[in-house]
Amino acid sequence: MRTRRQLLRQAGCGLGLLGLAGILDDEGLIQSANAATNAPLQARKSHFPAKARHVIWIFVNGGPSQVDTWDYKPKLVKWDGRPMREFDPEFKDTTGFFKKDVGNIMKSPFKFSPRGENGKMVSSLFPFLGQHVDKMAFVHSAYSESNNHSTALFKLNCGLPRMGFPSVGAWVTYGLGSPNRNLPGFVVMSDPQGRGLPKAHAANWTAGFLPGVYQGTHLKPQGQAIDNLVLPDSLTTAAQRNQLDFLRDANAEHRSQQPAEDALNARIESYELAYRMQSAAPEALDVDSEPDHVKQLYGFGEKQSEPFGRQCLTARRLVERGVRFVQIYSGGTDNQRSWDGHHDILGNHTQFAGETDQPVAGLLADLDQRGLLNETLVIWCGEFGRLPVAQKAQKPGRDHNPHCLSLWMAGGGIRGGVTYGESDELGYKAVVDRVHVNDIHATILHQLGIEHTQLTYRHNGRDYRLTDVGGKVLKAVVA
Amino acid sequence: MRWYLIVLVVFPLTVSTVHGQTGVDVDADHARKMKAGLQVFRESVRSVLEEHCLKCHNRQSKKADFDLSTRKTLVESGVLGTGAEDSYLLQLVRHEAEPPMPFKADPLTEAQINSLAKWIDLGAPYDKPMGGVRDEDPVKVTAEDRSFWSFAAIKEPVVPPTDSDWARTDIDHFILAKLSEAGIQPNGVADRRTLIRRAYFDLIGLPPSPKEIQEFVNNEDPKGYERLVDRLLASRHFGERWARHWLDVARFGESSGYEHDGNRETAYHYRDFVIRAFNDDLPYDEFVQWQIAGDEIAPDVPLAFMATGFLSAGTFARQVTENEFEQTRYDELDDMVGNTGLAFLGLSFGCARCHDHKFDPIPTEDYYSLVAVFGRTVRAEKSLVLEPGAETSIVQVTGDGFTPIKSLADDRGYKHFYENVYQLNRGDVHQKQSVASPGYARVLMRGEKDVDDWRIEVPGDWDRSDLSRSSLANWITDTEYGAGHLAARVIVNRLWQYHFGEGLVRTPNDFGLRGETPTHPELLDWLATALIANNWSLKHVHRLIMTSAVYMQTDQFDDQRATVDSANKLIWRRVPRRLEAEAIRDSMLKISGLLDRQMFGRGSLDESMRRRSVYFTIKRSKLIPSMMLFDWPEHLVSIGKRPVTTTAPQALQMMNSPQTREYAAGFAKRMTNQMMDGTKDSSDRDFTKAIEFAYQSVYGRDPSTRDAERSSSFLKRQIAVYTDLDVKAPESAALTDFVQVLFMGNEFIFVR
Repeated sequence: MRTRRQLLRQAGCGLGLLGLAGILDDEGLIQSANAATNAPLQARKSHFPAKARHVIWIFVNGGPSQVDTWDYKPKLVKWDGRPMREFDPEFKDTTGFFKKDVGNIMKSPFKFSPRGENGKMVSSLFPFLGQHVDKMAFVHSAYSESNNHSTALFKLNCGLPRMGFPSVGAWVTYGLGSPNRNLPGFVVMSDPQGRGLPKAHAANWTAGFLPGVYQGTHLKPQGQAIDNLVLPDSLTTAAQRNQLDFLRDANAEHRSQQPAEDALNARIESYELAYRMQSAAPEALDVDSEPDHVKQLYGFGEKQSEPFGRQCLTARRLVERGVRFVQIYSGGTDNQRSWDGHHDILGNHTQFAGETDQPVAGLLADLDQRGLLNETLVIWCGEFGRLPVAQKAQKPGRDHNPHCLSLWMAGGGIRGGVTYGESDELGYKAVVDRVHVNDIHATILHQLGIEHTQLTYRHNGRDYRLTDVGGKVLKAVVA
Repeated sequence: MRWYLIVLVVFPLTVSTVHGQTGVDVDADHARKMKAGLQVFRESVRSVLEEHCLKCHNRQSKKADFDLSTRKTLVESGVLGTGAEDSYLLQLVRHEAEPPMPFKADPLTEAQINSLAKWIDLGAPYDKPMGGVRDEDPVKVTAEDRSFWSFAAIKEPVVPPTDSDWARTDIDHFILAKLSEAGIQPNGVADRRTLIRRAYFDLIGLPPSPKEIQEFVNNEDPKGYERLVDRLLASRHFGERWARHWLDVARFGESSGYEHDGNRETAYHYRDFVIRAFNDDLPYDEFVQWQIAGDEIAPDVPLAFMATGFLSAGTFARQVTENEFEQTRYDELDDMVGNTGLAFLGLSFGCARCHDHKFDPIPTEDYYSLVAVFGRTVRAEKSLVLEPGAETSIVQVTGDGFTPIKSLADDRGYKHFYENVYQLNRGDVHQKQSVASPGYARVLMRGEKDVDDWRIEVPGDWDRSDLSRSSLANWITDTEYGAGHLAARVIVNRLWQYHFGEGLVRTPNDFGLRGETPTHPELLDWLATALIANNWSLKHVHRLIMTSAVYMQTDQFDDQRATVDSANKLIWRRVPRRLEAEAIRDSMLKISGLLDRQMFGRGSLDESMRRRSVYFTIKRSKLIPSMMLFDWPEHLVSIGKRPVTTTAPQALQMMNSPQTREYAAGFAKRMTNQMMDGTKDSSDRDFTKAIEFAYQSVYGRDPSTRDAERSSSFLKRQIAVYTDLDVKAPESAALTDFVQVLFMGNEFIFVR
């Protein structure tokens, strides 16, 4: 009988893990997974057996309104139209961003109805995702600090509301490497409809003070997705193969004069790897090669759903091929071009939920039917929530609210059908079992088999962690 | 950790576990417990203690020698025990011990006692002291703290004697002393081809031309090498090369970061200052002083103003709301103080923002007194005439009494600075303690001196500032009683590191208790002494280092010596180094003949620009992708040593990027011109000359017979490929492919 490790070797040294992914465990993957001897992205063993091997984070960019999405607040109807200070005398007009536009309490313009076996109350924004609530663990009591996008984005992505700290995807690939060396370990997708990058741009997937190799690879939504993947016009494949053959011989000769320098070997390997990447990456990104019934799951053919659907399908193809961490941003830069519904919360959320509902639901269903959901942690979370009061406008919106945000996780060892924590009766502040951002990160790392207090990097005299000096694993949402 | 990681990258990975280490001597759950404990404290314990105990057990009336106004005094009283189980305090309130507490009053309720017990088990944390007492007595800085190697004054080391003729300079004596303790020998001096290439890359970041190599190899002047070093130190490119190192340390960028990442159009003057300062060999003490307070120290010197860009080079959240105004200001001040500590002293002052530094003797009080130095310091722009007769330029400066550059939050009433700087509890602006007044790190104040001893008196005709930054600059460079010796150690170590790949202290930004100890402490001090004694001339130190035998040795590896010292800490060999992003690109540009040598001024974001890479504009949201691939920093925090990684995207960049092709094509054109010498008829060409020229230009040597054969058959093969494809000029296409391969080769970017 073969050991898993032997099996893995047979399967092409861990490359092209299609179909095999389910049987790989942590000890199997590591030693033989790649030929390059000193690759910083080489897969590494986790601290304890992992529940999840991959993460897909649907970043609900701009700040989705918890009371209009997942955190059902029937009391809002009763309070509708009354000033917020009647509910909370300490409420300040500066809690949100636009202090001059603070209106009264506003009920949700969306209908809620029970979904799934557990009867979770779900907004009419999510007809498709509502089918999967039994797979999801909801957190209704998370909170952030900042009521500004970029600082809140940093908080959610990097653990601190300031620039300069590594993002969660960078920490994860630093800790665990990535099983497929033909593809980047941490991939980010942003709005494909020309609405721009999330605020603070690439700093959201930065490697911070970790080596640059751990920063997210941003797939450009237009043109070539990855830089330098395509041969320049003046070069042909045959000509390039000749170049690489020449290079291999010359490098080998150079290497033989300096047998002690292992770094030389790594670089020799990197060229062969790059050569393979030229075909592996386009193959991984080729969603059009998928059969129609799969495409339909993601909403292909629907004008509204297809762009995000393509990204969700790309995400599935990437994790299937071993990519460790994928983040997809829904929405672009400016207010109304993302979930940042300052005006017309009804129209804004209808649009962005509409763009993503079927694709994300399709992703969950597709991962599930392939047995990949077991090992893929899917997260739906934005940078903050929104206020239960109206932001005054021709069509009312809602302003930023750092005191409360809702998120859900599914797959990757998450217990389905549970709800953790509560906000107050208007969804203004997280009150019961409050969840700090450090706790969210600790839980993500935990599912990946990482003890969050042990994942450290010494920088300028201090051992830094993603979870800073906090973080507790949300045991209640872990299966 | 950084070193650990570099090992990982450079050597085969045998350990397969998640990176990380604990190292910190606190309970892993410490933070969580403290947090939970604080909650209990706020919810109930505080009121219990205040109502029932504090009246008798406070700072003034310490009944039974027991003062619970601060956690420190409570802990010191010994009544807490190691947990609720053996806590004397609990026994007293449970009336299990005498006298029953609260004394002559109703006993506490069971719920109250339970929360006390829970709180004690969680470590008995306080959010703030009670009874109007200031927080815990600040940690005293002791004589023992000051005796730590990096904080202590330098005693000029004696150069160890040697009878070896390997030694060329005093530096070598120190190196030999350590090597002979370990019983191993260093390598001999490298050949001249290797030396000139090494010296060019180290000092100017560009390769020597074939002609320059030939001249140096044929030069019989016994002082030829020393003259080469002098010539390179005098090159204008020297400043460009070394400025780039310093810009890493200074976390220099030209945009504000955060969501708007607004451009700082006039920040580039700081880069120009650094280049000029290094080229002109501005004494290092002045280099430091000007960056902290150039606007005050030399108000008539434009360069000194440009230097103050250092303080405001960090990121800054321009769009903030009222709730964050004050926090934003403290963040900005933290960036100034933190970076001053890291860059000049290799100390992480920032760690003392929320609590006394865990490892280094830097109390929170010292941190806030450093913050107070910058209390009114703002980022501003000023019109300056940079050179006599020139038009005025707008320059980003940092100083007191200037009009701050507008922030997006100005409309909401953003205050760029506040009347007072407060010492904050746990770094929280809502927990203000006393007003902080300017001061320094006391561990670096010797001879019973006090802050006033460094104070620069404000002249009668000066009203723009209180000169507290000048006073700080005075302290930081004072070698007698202040931080000057540490400042000198830190900078000579940086120079050493950029020449050798590793410093004598391998944690260049951490000279504190957790940093690495120097491999050669006496040599470090000797170099620091030499710097100070030579009027802080950095070029003097470069010269000392580069003319030593230890610098000039070969990279020959040796198994036996490697078993004794695998990390080469004793420096028995030269370790080949991969060039940095800038040097790789600049070298291709130079060899291609496309390099635009225009110095100074505004940079560019255009990846196809042809100026040296130091002139790339550093816009934090648009970092140059090809630079990032080769470990360019993110320019957010001080970087003392860049990691070196090897990845497939780097290879793709060399294989497919339009820039690499352009550089290769540029050189192919030069080669064609070279071949035209003497041969008018293209059918006669055998490429021999072209191949020689290419190897000399790219690798600094002649091709071996095998190289020549391989090259020539490659060229023929490529010409055939392109001829078949009906490419217009198959020969130049083939030459382009050839040059590109040479650029791709390891020999090009690993310098021996």
